[in-house]
Amino acid sequence: MLKFAFRNLSRHKGRTALTLAAIAFGVVSLVLSAGFVDDIFVQLRENTVQSGLGHAQIAKEGYFKFSARQPYAYMIDKPEAVIAQVKRLPQVKEAMSRLNVNGTLNNGKAELPVRGEGVEPDKERFVGGFISLIEGRHLNADDVYAAELGEGLARSLGIKPGSRVTLLTSTPQGAVNTVELQVVGVFRSFSIEYDARAMRMPLAAAQAALNTHAVHTVVVALNDTSETDAAINVMRATFSGQPLVVKSWEELADFYRKAVDLYRAQFGVLQLIILVMVALSVSNSVNISIFERTGEVGTLLALGNRRREVFRLLVLESAVSGVLGGLIGVVLGIVLAFLISAVGIPMPPPPNSSQGYLAAVRVVPEQVAIAMSIGLVATIVASLLPASRVTRLPVVEALRRAM
Amino acid sequence: MSIVRIENVSKRYRLGEQEVAALRGVSVSIEQGEFVAIAGPSGSGKTTLLNMIGCIDTPTGGRVVVDGQDVTGRSPDQLADLRARTLGFIFQTFNLLPVLSAEENVEYPLVNIQHLPREERRRRVAYFLDMVGLTRFAKHRPNQLSGGQRQRVAIARALATRPKIVLADEPTANLDHQSGEGILQLMKEINHHSGTTFIFSTHDARVIAMADRVVRVSDGEVVGEESNR
Repeated sequence: MLKFAFRNLSRHKGRTALTLAAIAFGVVSLVLSAGFVDDIFVQLRENTVQSGLGHAQIAKEGYFKFSARQPYAYMIDKPEAVIAQVKRLPQVKEAMSRLNVNGTLNNGKAELPVRGEGVEPDKERFVGGFISLIEGRHLNADDVYAAELGEGLARSLGIKPGSRVTLLTSTPQGAVNTVELQVVGVFRSFSIEYDARAMRMPLAAAQAALNTHAVHTVVVALNDTSETDAAINVMRATFSGQPLVVKSWEELADFYRKAVDLYRAQFGVLQLIILVMVALSVSNSVNISIFERTGEVGTLLALGNRRREVFRLLVLESAVSGVLGGLIGVVLGIVLAFLISAVGIPMPPPPNSSQGYLAAVRVVPEQVAIAMSIGLVATIVASLLPASRVTRLPVVEALRRAM
Repeated sequence: MSIVRIENVSKRYRLGEQEVAALRGVSVSIEQGEFVAIAGPSGSGKTTLLNMIGCIDTPTGGRVVVDGQDVTGRSPDQLADLRARTLGFIFQTFNLLPVLSAEENVEYPLVNIQHLPREERRRRVAYFLDMVGLTRFAKHRPNQLSGGQRQRVAIARALATRPKIVLADEPTANLDHQSGEGILQLMKEINHHSGTTFIFSTHDARVIAMADRVVRVSDGEVVGEESNR
């Protein structure tokens, strides 16, 4: 029977091609749409991590809750020890200290409030991939009294690389302190708001400005975002005896989960629409190819085939075309996904950011498998009703349509 | 005992608003080994009568007995089994399976018979293809054959299961005179040779002339019978 089914498919080239095309087209749509949505999530995830957040942050207990009110009450006094312990974990690529410095920045004529960040410049590139340079250069490990300014801040103060600025701060002890910094570069991040107030400087300069050796946070970069949960658990266990908290990027990026939920709902609706269209076009072509054969069904019944046997034959043929069409769709979908990814889909800047990016289509094995099974199931299900209807026709009626 | 007994069979169906009577109380009985033509103009009900005998249509009233079995009220599956075992069909439009070769077409009804060894199947296919003179065309597909050759394949297919009755609905209507005559000659030879009962419908006078017995149908009623023996 399988042989006969294959014959029916392979020798009716036009009809089979039409059905296969419908199925393959459907599977391709599913593979591509799922891959595109997945890429958006991955991009969003990596953007979040690479926006300076890192995969995890370690801070003194209470820091994340109360630091706005008491900026210098929750600090890590011996960051070297924490970093040494963290870097022993196999998942960890890098760990770095940060110190927040709030103050005012003066260019000699005007001054503006500024959110400074003391960082270890050579390590920051592991978590700051999306901070791009507009003018001058990035900070490097040899800089001490240097600074990099956000685009908006630099524009407001009329500062170009090479200018000198003064940072006025109050130290944890309550004294007023100033440090003079040389501006080496202007950067642009994903967030316009952040760029309007942000300044980065070497950790040493920030520590000098605040007259301290402590830091606020230790930022951890992992080899792969998917290892986050495992790494967090190990770190929490490691620091369980100490007054430290470990937070994952997901906990720190409040907007991330909301954005994902929103996207998922929106894309879900779109994918549902695609699914319905796929189901309709597949069932349409399956319908046609079955009803075209009414006369043949009549012949088979007259020759003494039972209804159930003919029904099984028709469904089997559909299943075979479902498998073939699905495979073609999967191959085509993967090839197309790679082609589209190679070219890239230009995307406009996401909300609250100033840079667009190139989206790709990811090949996600589970999604491909799901697309393939949807194609197969849709084809089989689509064949059930017409097959049952055709085989239930009175034999004479079916035969009459042979002419 | 008659191999086919039609007792007071009627068939009505609706055509739009009107009710049409295709058969009105027809009674016929046919003996084993007969070579019978059901003759009549188109619309006379001869095809309907043939379909009743072939168990592919059900009567509105009356009784149809085929090979000793009353088929009225049987389930579609029971009828399918009866067709597979006792009946062979030859159609006006040949109705070969387009994707199968000549020999595969002949083999097809045999595949449905259980407990028939492969060798026996092969042997029968070769035997019947030879009988209809198409051994050379065994591997050809229907669209590579002429009308007459296709109808020969159909005859071989109808005979392959060794049915007791072969039913042929206007077997020569789509053929030229020469092939039509050849087909009928072949059927007649098989009838004499193996004793298979042949019942066919026709409106062609030349075909009627070759039948042993003619049942004339008009307006859904049997209007006459004649024997050519």
